[in-house]
Amino acid sequence: MDERWCLSRRQILKGMAAAGALTAAELAWWEEPLIAPRRAWGAVPVRFQFSVPEPKRTALVESLAQRFNQSQKDFEVKVEFVPQAQARQKLITSIAAGTPPDVAQVWDNWVGEFDGMNAVEDLTGKVKDWPGYKDVLPLAWETVTVKKRVLSFPWVVTNDGVYWRTDRAKEYGAKPPKDDWTFDDFLAWAKTMTKPDKNQYGFGMRGQGTWAVLYATEFMYANGAQVLGKDGKVAINSPEAAEALDWYLDLFRKHKVCPPSVPTDGWRGIVEGFGRGVTNSYIHNSGSSEEQKDFVKAENFSTVPLPFGPAKKRVSFYFSETLTPFKAGKAREGGFKFMAWAMEPEPHFMYSKTLGLLPARKSVAERPEFTKDPALAGFIKSFPFSIVSPYLAYAGWGGKLDSEGVPLFQQALVGKLSSKEFLEKFAEVLAKNMS
Amino acid sequence: MAREATLATPLARPLLSRRAREILSGYLYLLPVVVALGATVLVPILSAIGMSLYNNVLIKPQDYRFIGLGNYARLLHDDVFWLSLANSFYWVFGSVSLQFVGGFAAALLLHQTFRGRAVVRTLTLLPWIIPGVVVALIWEYLYQPNYGALNDLLARAGLMTDKVAWLSNPSLAMPAVIATNVWRGVPFFAIMLLAGLQAIPDELYEAARVDGAGVLERFWHITLPMLRPIIVVATATRIIWTFNYADLIFVMTSGGPANATQITSTYTLLQAYSNLDFGYAATLSVVLLLIMLGFTISYLRVTRGVEPVA
Repeated sequence: MDERWCLSRRQILKGMAAAGALTAAELAWWEEPLIAPRRAWGAVPVRFQFSVPEPKRTALVESLAQRFNQSQKDFEVKVEFVPQAQARQKLITSIAAGTPPDVAQVWDNWVGEFDGMNAVEDLTGKVKDWPGYKDVLPLAWETVTVKKRVLSFPWVVTNDGVYWRTDRAKEYGAKPPKDDWTFDDFLAWAKTMTKPDKNQYGFGMRGQGTWAVLYATEFMYANGAQVLGKDGKVAINSPEAAEALDWYLDLFRKHKVCPPSVPTDGWRGIVEGFGRGVTNSYIHNSGSSEEQKDFVKAENFSTVPLPFGPAKKRVSFYFSETLTPFKAGKAREGGFKFMAWAMEPEPHFMYSKTLGLLPARKSVAERPEFTKDPALAGFIKSFPFSIVSPYLAYAGWGGKLDSEGVPLFQQALVGKLSSKEFLEKFAEVLAKNMS
Repeated sequence: MAREATLATPLARPLLSRRAREILSGYLYLLPVVVALGATVLVPILSAIGMSLYNNVLIKPQDYRFIGLGNYARLLHDDVFWLSLANSFYWVFGSVSLQFVGGFAAALLLHQTFRGRAVVRTLTLLPWIIPGVVVALIWEYLYQPNYGALNDLLARAGLMTDKVAWLSNPSLAMPAVIATNVWRGVPFFAIMLLAGLQAIPDELYEAARVDGAGVLERFWHITLPMLRPIIVVATATRIIWTFNYADLIFVMTSGGPANATQITSTYTLLQAYSNLDFGYAATLSVVLLLIMLGFTISYLRVTRGVEPVA
């Protein structure tokens, strides 16, 4: 056997260490080595569950935990990484088994479910005494408020905007999207930017995962539709909603300005489609901006708010990534201390900036790193009309949106159901699960 | 010195007869297997049956209660369940029949003598060795309509003008995942049947040749009957595996688009891990167990088990 091609265990380990160091080096703000001195005996361990969608976050969060551990002697945060796709199930099963972590990073739309399980504690009093309380955007607090009780810290926030290719717009002579563009402008843009012979499409629509339904709902709101009517009943099956949904789905069905892969394109599909140059625009939150800077380069794309609909309205759904403590946690004091520390300006800035997410603290969000970045412009400009997702209204809607809403939406997408039929069935699902 | 006479005392009659002891020791040898199977198979099945009788949604612990056959009644009216059951039959019989035909052809080829046979036999096993999730990711990439290799090859060969969305089109998604499963499963049949072919004595073929039997007659009257026990076992095993196999579809389409590839095993996963409805997921598992049990019994009866034909 040719020994040049054999890797010893030592070489493999060296390779892995080098890969880790390279990842760490990508974090420009890194000042201290990954391996920190051990904590003194007696420090109370704090279990922190963090869900990982991509490797950069692992090094970032390990570093944050170490910085916290070095900043005080009483508590030692131990990070438990779980794949993002399994994070919700793992948390719910650990709550059911009575062994939740002390703190977890979770999306705000799960917090209601945890509250329904009586698993989270009311932090209202504590956070109001916390010095940074007034510096956090009120809308961010709203995302973590259930039945008038604050249950988490809103760590970073996201809303939706449109990513678009600046270089290709110039190349094809397309009118660049303006901040106050309309549905008609959107369609005209998508048509101009569709070049099937070059395997390029104007718009990368999402067809899989919860957000497939959420993005479509944003377009329905732009036409005056609402998920819940003033009487508190489900109203998503209104004629306004059906009209807007028809318009939205026709981008794929009739105008063919979307790639054929739409019905199975989830988050990865739309981000990669734009990154590989197959699509020239897509809707997402600011979370993929850093990735696109690597894929298509910062100078070749920008972001813009969602378009105005026929009702002269528009909304962008607002979400937050939260730090949520659990009642059954064994180190609740340490957990709160860690959360409050993570919300301090410097760690808060570093976490948000590294991941391209928007900070929940106003003083941090006003820094030029956020306000002057064209990749984030569309999201910051969307703040005035951003609203908390209407699907947060009932905890019972969380899982159903994915398991029943998305397959129904896909049926409308591929023409098996009309927009009206989809909305009637979807409204039924929502009405059944208002708990 | 007087010698003491020793009297022979009769042996005490054993508590159990020799026959009973033989039987008992036989059962004692079986005991570890019975305990292991009971703990790993029987207990989970009983636990699933028990769970299926409860309303057990993890996110609603306050609603946990005994509902008897409530979940079974719900299943009868669940359109997606019936759709997924129909899809499962399509998936299982589409996959297994094509795997069998491909595997048989491959086994007959690999049974021939040719240079490099050992290498080809090893390479044939490759798709079977690769983990299911990796196979799914590879094929998902090959099928990708915008930048996948399959569309590119077909376009270059002049066989396609418009991009085909293999996994995103409800009419093509199931055939596409079945094709992937066939690719993965052919080696299983090939190796099983090759082992069977090698065990058939050459004398039988020679005798048939002397009697004037042609290739087809020899295949029909010697090869097939001699392989029957292996075919029965391999097919039954493969059908059961495929029925319960969720990895491929879960990764490639998640049961979509519009439930076009939703099979009972992916639907069960969806209920358990998306809706966290463990009561209903357990009900689905119990029903699937009964379906498979019924199938296996009928299949073995119809094919007259694994005994060779007299």
